[in-house]
Amino acid sequence: MQEKKETTFNNANDSSTSIQYANGFRIETQSNGITIIKVLKPWVNAETTHTYALVPKEIQASVTLNKNEYDAIISTPVENIVVTSTTHIPALEELGVLNQLIGFPDTKYISSIAARKRIDSGKIKELGVNESINTEAVLELQPDLIFGFAINDGNSTYETIQRAHIPVIYNSDWVEETPLGKAEWIKFFAPFFNKTKEADIIFNEIETSYLEAKKLAAEVENKPTVLSGAMFNDIWYLPGGKSWAASFLKDANANYLWNATDENGSLSLSWESVLDVGKHADYWIGPAQLATYKEMEASSQHYTQFDAFKNKKVFTTANTKGETGGTLYYELAPQRPDLVLKDLIHILHPGLLPNYVPYFFKPLL
Amino acid sequence: MSKPSTYSFHFITLLAVLLLCFVINICLGSVNISFIKTIQALFGTVTEDSSYYIIWEYRLPKAITAILVGGGLSLSGLLMQTLFRNPLAGPYVLGISSGASLGAALLIMGTSLFSFVFTFSTFNDISLAIASSLGSFLVLSLVLVVAAKVKDTMALLIIGLMFGSITAAIVSVLSYFSKAEKLQQYIFWSFGSLGNLSWMQLLIIALCTLTGIFLSIISIKPLNAFLLGENYAKSLGIGLKTSRYIIIVATGLLAGSITAFAGPIAFVGLAVPHISKQMFNTTDHKIQIPAVLCCGAILMLLCDTIAQLPGSVSVLPINAITSIFGAPVVIWLLVRKRKMIF
Repeated sequence: MQEKKETTFNNANDSSTSIQYANGFRIETQSNGITIIKVLKPWVNAETTHTYALVPKEIQASVTLNKNEYDAIISTPVENIVVTSTTHIPALEELGVLNQLIGFPDTKYISSIAARKRIDSGKIKELGVNESINTEAVLELQPDLIFGFAINDGNSTYETIQRAHIPVIYNSDWVEETPLGKAEWIKFFAPFFNKTKEADIIFNEIETSYLEAKKLAAEVENKPTVLSGAMFNDIWYLPGGKSWAASFLKDANANYLWNATDENGSLSLSWESVLDVGKHADYWIGPAQLATYKEMEASSQHYTQFDAFKNKKVFTTANTKGETGGTLYYELAPQRPDLVLKDLIHILHPGLLPNYVPYFFKPLL
Repeated sequence: MSKPSTYSFHFITLLAVLLLCFVINICLGSVNISFIKTIQALFGTVTEDSSYYIIWEYRLPKAITAILVGGGLSLSGLLMQTLFRNPLAGPYVLGISSGASLGAALLIMGTSLFSFVFTFSTFNDISLAIASSLGSFLVLSLVLVVAAKVKDTMALLIIGLMFGSITAAIVSVLSYFSKAEKLQQYIFWSFGSLGNLSWMQLLIIALCTLTGIFLSIISIKPLNAFLLGENYAKSLGIGLKTSRYIIIVATGLLAGSITAFAGPIAFVGLAVPHISKQMFNTTDHKIQIPAVLCCGAILMLLCDTIAQLPGSVSVLPINAITSIFGAPVVIWLLVRKRKMIF
């Protein structure tokens, strides 16, 4: 469940952007016009925080900052950027700054139509493989900054880029555990482009839409039981009870059968135990990348034992792909949790949103 | 060398342990199914809940897979060690396992890299098995071609290892350019698995294993002769070239089919022949072939029982358990006997 966490900074003259759901970052605008962004958890189990100072170009000459106090000092608004995760694309698009994106690693995974147009016309350059972004290509592009992400400390590629005076800003939207928490990361991008107000408006709309959908679902008394995940070999991977995916199911007023587990990532369980608990589940949401019933049966005959499989109540995001094969859910869902929730409500409570057309979750073919 | 008849007690004990391990393996799992219910399910009394399905379609094929995989890999290890007169040989040399890995890697990760060549949009266990069998077959055929030119068995061993390095390098390149989820699928395959095989797949492994065992049995005489060295074997008038081919083909059938369906299972092929040689104190293949089959099957059943973490909802990858559990056994045996029997 999501709790509101209003955080304010101490100085009387400073104003902080209210961050209600996200745990991973804080934004404070000082009276002198400088914005300080703190990334509290750059990766899972991080022990350091990252602090960035954003200095508006017009006051740049008049302020001096102690370089050692910040991981990067950026003059805003920035003009040319590189991002590294498809989850960053929808935020840029909504803020209307997609035209400032000049490079991306593995562009084929981007599904956004607007971004694809820019890739095809050569305005967004290919930067190689994500885990080891092509340093030379980045240096040649000379972006104002890179929005990177790291799964742990010590990404040598980013260090080389930083030595070339291209700041790397860590975005850890993926560490966020709640649907609205992830969506709120649009506010993280906003100050770099002087779009704070726009970001607030966009997020408020998403929040309202999400909470309304949640309220609608809560009115139904019947809670369908839900199974999730799929097997690799004989180990079944499924979302933990405290995970992002489980929050959606909870908010859609469903009884996710592994709700009581404490994991915020994924659980790896034996096939037997999943059959034991989930055999009679009403729905099966998200069987990994399996897209058709035939494929499921070929992949493992054990899937056929579940009622949801027999009754054809399996739904997946694997069939909703972009032009070049990227899964739309991975790219857009973190930014649009309201659509995800409505998809689930449409599936799990068929009477509630009868005319709604699902965005990500489709029945298996 | 002792006479075979003196080993009958050993074999009766081994078979009894094997049967016990088999029963334990079927009775224990994540879901608690009572012994009585297990027996009822096994002997046809259909129970209403899912336990009948769990026993018949999951635990029983898994236990039989464990027996075939354990026995087959151990036998292929014994054949390799004898053929190369090298105690470190196993199914991994000759590039059989690495060939299978290459096949699997090309199917799982190659699709994004060579999308113009491969048209698979999806894959399943059967296509994975076909791909990895093709991989082992390809590497094995290359080795056979080389074996025709190279007379020295040691040179063949080195060439096998080199083929292994080449395939490993290609797999690295594929991994480097793969998307995280494809890489994850490949890694899951490489963990090995006994539990996801249908009766049909099991039948294929059984046929390959039985053919492998048959070829080994008809090669007992040349195998014993190989232990004495190739020149000595030649002086005994044994047709070395043909025997060498038969042994290589047997190994390929055993290790290739098993790796194709169950993934690369480490350690068993290398270690079990040493365990059984220490137990039986002989290198005679008339004794060793049935001995490694039994020991391998028992080891695999035990490892699988541990990997299932009875009573818990989690499972461990079988590949890790075989080494963690098996290696200390070999160390203990060698330290106790203070010498290797070879």
